[in-house]
Amino acid sequence: MRADSSATAEQGRGWSPLLRSVVSLAIAIHLAAVVLPPLASPPPASLLANEAIQPFRPYIGSLYLWHGYRFFAPDPGPGHSLRWSLITDQGELLEGSLPDATQDWPRLLYHRRFMIAEKLSGMIPPMDAPEAIRRDAQLEWGPLVRAVAAELLTRHNGVTVSLDMVEHYLPTPGDVIDRRQQQPAVPGAWEDRVTPLGTYALATASATPGEQR
Amino acid sequence: MSQRQQQLTADAGQVGAARATGWVSAWNRFWFTASDPLPLAVVRIVTGLLLAWSSFVWLLDTEAFFGPAGWLPAHDVWRMNDQPWQWSWYFASPSPVVHWVLGIVTLLSALTLAAGLSTRLSAVVALAGLISAANRAPLNVFGLDDTLGMLLISLVIGPAGACLSVDRWLQSRLIGHGRTGDAAGQGSVAATIAVRLLQCHLCVVYFFSGSGKLLGASWWEGMALWGAAANSQYRTLDLTWMADQPLLINALTLSTLFWEVSYAALVWPRLTRPWAIGMGIAVHLGIGLAMGMMEFGLAMIAANLAFVPAATWRRWTAAVGLARVEACD
Repeated sequence: MRADSSATAEQGRGWSPLLRSVVSLAIAIHLAAVVLPPLASPPPASLLANEAIQPFRPYIGSLYLWHGYRFFAPDPGPGHSLRWSLITDQGELLEGSLPDATQDWPRLLYHRRFMIAEKLSGMIPPMDAPEAIRRDAQLEWGPLVRAVAAELLTRHNGVTVSLDMVEHYLPTPGDVIDRRQQQPAVPGAWEDRVTPLGTYALATASATPGEQR
Repeated sequence: MSQRQQQLTADAGQVGAARATGWVSAWNRFWFTASDPLPLAVVRIVTGLLLAWSSFVWLLDTEAFFGPAGWLPAHDVWRMNDQPWQWSWYFASPSPVVHWVLGIVTLLSALTLAAGLSTRLSAVVALAGLISAANRAPLNVFGLDDTLGMLLISLVIGPAGACLSVDRWLQSRLIGHGRTGDAAGQGSVAATIAVRLLQCHLCVVYFFSGSGKLLGASWWEGMALWGAAANSQYRTLDLTWMADQPLLINALTLSTLFWEVSYAALVWPRLTRPWAIGMGIAVHLGIGLAMGMMEFGLAMIAANLAFVPAATWRRWTAAVGLARVEACD
């Protein structure tokens, strides 16, 4: 695509060769900082990209360029939410979900809260994963889930809160057609997968993880 | 070395030099040809309004997003992004009042950016506000924030306030009607650089988004769009009626995949550019309506608008009676 020349289009008007060279170098650096992050993350990524990105980290970080751009890739997966059950300091039982489509409005606020569940879900292995993998992963997600628990306890004057990661069943076209025709569902269909994340108390929410249920 | 060998070497040298000169000339033409800043102004207005809305939404739950505790305590942010490079002005103070004020500053800068008032300063502050929010609350960001960052970088670089702006109006009032300043009517090299950076960045986004999808079986099977449509957490428009229309799902999925993978090649030639941009607008509006991500969709559409030539914008603005835009090239 040529630059629009509806106005006069004199090349580099007033720009000396030296200035053009300096700006060209800056452009090249910026473009490298745009291309390298999606090459280096998310996995799978090459060692070369991870080495090449190192000198650019200050620039990439300071301009918020560290993005993989893998929207709905490699496959659109199921959605997630954090289901919580909380006992208030008055002894009342409250239950809710994060995000909550009935409470989180406007939609952009819903989406910002939805991202909490989506990003944590990527760190939390399913219940049937090997014990060693689940233990290692908890070192990563544990502090983050504790923080979410503490925020919920603070918001609702809670004493304890239990959290579950809910992976919402992603129906196939066949599931939807069966339901529409009132056919019995295939075993396992429409069942959400629930991973308990523990019970937390405010005094300990920021210090120790709750026990796994 | 024989005379013939010397001649061949000299010829090869001349060809190499001519080729290098051609590359340099093409580079200069691509980046340093002055152009009309009108497309950048259009991008500025949309970006400013979207950032203002996003800033307002951050303010609805400021302390949960930016407070010392909140969804992600400040001392745990390093677990989610590349500290210390991913800076944020929200790290500077634990005070809720300070967080509120900084959020308001971002909101106001976004509004003045949209209006084109103190445009360059507004763009810088708006970019700082966006980056600060995104880096402080990495658990809560998504494609909208990535896209707004991409757009704002270009608005900081180029003369985004040269058209359709309060700055322009004030300038014409101070200097007089018609052409203003030495650069009037001659275009701007900085506008070209800003728009080119945005265009290249957008091509990178689509290339990696498209190539990432090539790893997914559902995209090859043509059923990926079903996965998006049937996801109850995203869904704002019920498209499950498509369950018994597999060929329609296949067609939508495969055309989306082909468009995204080929965007970086098809958006540059004049012949295919309208198709690439038109498809982009359709896809992003579809995502916005069906999956509740209208802000993200509009931000991506704004980035696509950087490929619409100024002459086209002028035709469109003239058609809706905005004849004064003629005076700001």
